[in-house]
Amino acid sequence: MSDLGAHETPELGAFRARVRSWLEANVPRDWEEALAGATPDEFVAFHCDWVRTLRRGGYLVPHWPPEHGGGCSVAEQIVIHQEMARARAPQLRVHMISLNHAGATLIEHGTPEQRKLLDGILDGAIWCQGFSEPNAGSDLASLQTRAVRDGDHYVVNGHKIWSSMANHAQWCLLLARTDPTVPKHKGISYFILDLSSDGVEIRPIRQATGDSEFCEIFLTDVRIPVEQRIGEEGEGWRIAQTTLTNERGAAIIELHERLVEAHERLCREALETLRAPGTVAADDAAIRQELARRGAEVDILGLLAARMFRNLLGRGNLGPEASIIKLFYSELLQSLTALGVEVRGMPAYLDHGRPFAGSWTTGDWLMDHIGSWTWTIAGGTNEIQRNVIGERVLGLPREPAIQ
Amino acid sequence: MTTQSDEVTRTSSPDELDELRRTARAMLDRDAPTTAVRSLLDDPRGYDPALWRAMAELGWLGLLAPVAHGGAGAGLTETVVVAEQLGAHLVASPFLASAVLATSALALGGTPTQQERWLPALANGAAIGTAALTGSLGRADGAASGVTLERTGTSVRLDGVVRFVPDAHVADVIVLAAHDGEERALVAIETAADGVRVEPTPTIDHTRRLNDLHLDGVVVDDAALLEADVTDDVLLRGVVALAADGVGAAREILTRAVEYAKERVQFGRPIGSFQAVKHMLANMYVLTEAASVAVEGAAEAFDADASNAARLAEIAASYARDAAVKVAGDAVQAHGGIGFTWEHDCHLFLKRTQLGAALLGDPAEHRERLAALMLAAARDQQSS
Repeated sequence: MSDLGAHETPELGAFRARVRSWLEANVPRDWEEALAGATPDEFVAFHCDWVRTLRRGGYLVPHWPPEHGGGCSVAEQIVIHQEMARARAPQLRVHMISLNHAGATLIEHGTPEQRKLLDGILDGAIWCQGFSEPNAGSDLASLQTRAVRDGDHYVVNGHKIWSSMANHAQWCLLLARTDPTVPKHKGISYFILDLSSDGVEIRPIRQATGDSEFCEIFLTDVRIPVEQRIGEEGEGWRIAQTTLTNERGAAIIELHERLVEAHERLCREALETLRAPGTVAADDAAIRQELARRGAEVDILGLLAARMFRNLLGRGNLGPEASIIKLFYSELLQSLTALGVEVRGMPAYLDHGRPFAGSWTTGDWLMDHIGSWTWTIAGGTNEIQRNVIGERVLGLPREPAIQ
Repeated sequence: MTTQSDEVTRTSSPDELDELRRTARAMLDRDAPTTAVRSLLDDPRGYDPALWRAMAELGWLGLLAPVAHGGAGAGLTETVVVAEQLGAHLVASPFLASAVLATSALALGGTPTQQERWLPALANGAAIGTAALTGSLGRADGAASGVTLERTGTSVRLDGVVRFVPDAHVADVIVLAAHDGEERALVAIETAADGVRVEPTPTIDHTRRLNDLHLDGVVVDDAALLEADVTDDVLLRGVVALAADGVGAAREILTRAVEYAKERVQFGRPIGSFQAVKHMLANMYVLTEAASVAVEGAAEAFDADASNAARLAEIAASYARDAAVKVAGDAVQAHGGIGFTWEHDCHLFLKRTQLGAALLGDPAEHRERLAALMLAAARDQQSS
């Protein structure tokens, strides 16, 4: 497992030792096996418990400012993520929106009253995102959900989709159009929606993996108090942009470490998996070439992330590497899990009835592989990422809009 | 650039590396525009002696030589910065052969006498060296496949043919791998020695020169033997330098392809606004950045004597060199017909990255070595 090399001061080394021993004492034993037959409710309850455990240890929101319970340096955040991966701790999938997008949005743009919701997040409250719509995916700014002012409330009608964990969530970060007469980016406002409000209907969508992480949200005359609008009317798009880019960058460290571990596991599996009597997968020259290709890309992802953090620490900005990390990670996750299927052979195609994945690389390679499309589509498809690289990094002209 | 007197290499700070990069770029922009390489295409020497002297004066040729022998005592970290600029400018020179391969071989494995004799001259440009380490097949695992070594008293006799030896036609000294039937050894011979014949072999990449090296009963004193067989170490340094050259070339031709895509108008708009072209250019950027961190990571690991240095060097040798070839090929595509003409530089970048990927063992061979390293580590994990 890599450390920070020359950047690892004695203080940081001591911090690492503290995190490591805390995780050894607190990561639930055999949690993956224990969750193998869990119901969705049990799965969610397990994650809420883990969130509260992390909070007690002080490792839940290291990326938040100190006054809200965080205050770790970037280097310390990296250490925490590395040690989480090393300990194979549960990945914070259920609370991803709560801890990242909701936290960042409330901290950066919320009123003091709105920020009180941060306490709930620390206590395990689940938030979801109400951004995408059936006709507003990559072209998010064309969203049609309407919020009409009515006294000290907004009345909201519309249809949201791809909202992960909405059926278990208490709160939703909602984008809705408050002014249809101005250009599409300018008429959007940002709301906090209490999902127990009248007129909210949530329907889980059964996914390719067989489980139901994301949902549709139907909004019919839902009343949202004015004080639950974040920022001014019409600022929603801008706020959504800042919070999307402020996802905690250090999370890539953990994702990378999980891939390091997955690749090592795959190499061991290749040494043990029979191809023909007397030969194993690792004897196959084609498999060896692919193991080397994926291993190289795993190391390179770590180097890209390290360069990104070096830029952040030394020069104050993330640099263009930030835009390629998601692209590189998601495609690597897809190809690494595909290689896992190839190494395992026919047994990879048998269904072990996995209800929910505790990580993106469980070692149930075909399910992991199918699950990897979450990463190449969600949060801006890889085609959109390539547009971003082409236009914002390389300075290529945008496609002319169709009037 | 770092200078120091002890044996430990200190890595330059990011600011020092930026300064080295700026200096190199400025000098080569002025003295070695890519148009200059065209004037050397038919030159029998294949390099510009005046430019070579300027490179020596800037200290580039002695980066890997110790201070005690007239070098800078720097490391691969500095070497890859220079190599990237040489690739970006398509510079035709014996830099790889002399400043990387021969200098590394002698600095790492040479006797004190050999080091005293050759390292200062290689560092100041008075002599040119090369290394013949990939045998008759040009493969990393073929180091001794070409030359036999026979010991008689205090002399050794060398016979055989080594192919694809870079810049041997202008070299004064060649470090070559030979086999005595039991083990491999490295020998430093002068090209002027009796029985040594260098036969230039025209290459498709006109910016690099390769030669067949014929050894017909060459008899030298056994003082010509190096103290240690550092072949693998030298090859890894060489492939990292080649990968850096490829990254520099890729970055340069990507920049030109992006500029072209902004200017070239078809169907009433710049072709760079079409997603098919935009995404190809975005992919080229991702490959170039990924290759660049692989090269930097490998160089830093070597200079820090890190345990993953060989692994990262094999990654640079395979991934980064493949990436450069892909970027150079896609650059031809992005330029369309004009990119396929002799007058345009695209083909020079494509040919340079292709030979740069194949030299010292091709990417597939280095990937196989990488797989062996990774599977050995996995075996250790199994048994622990």
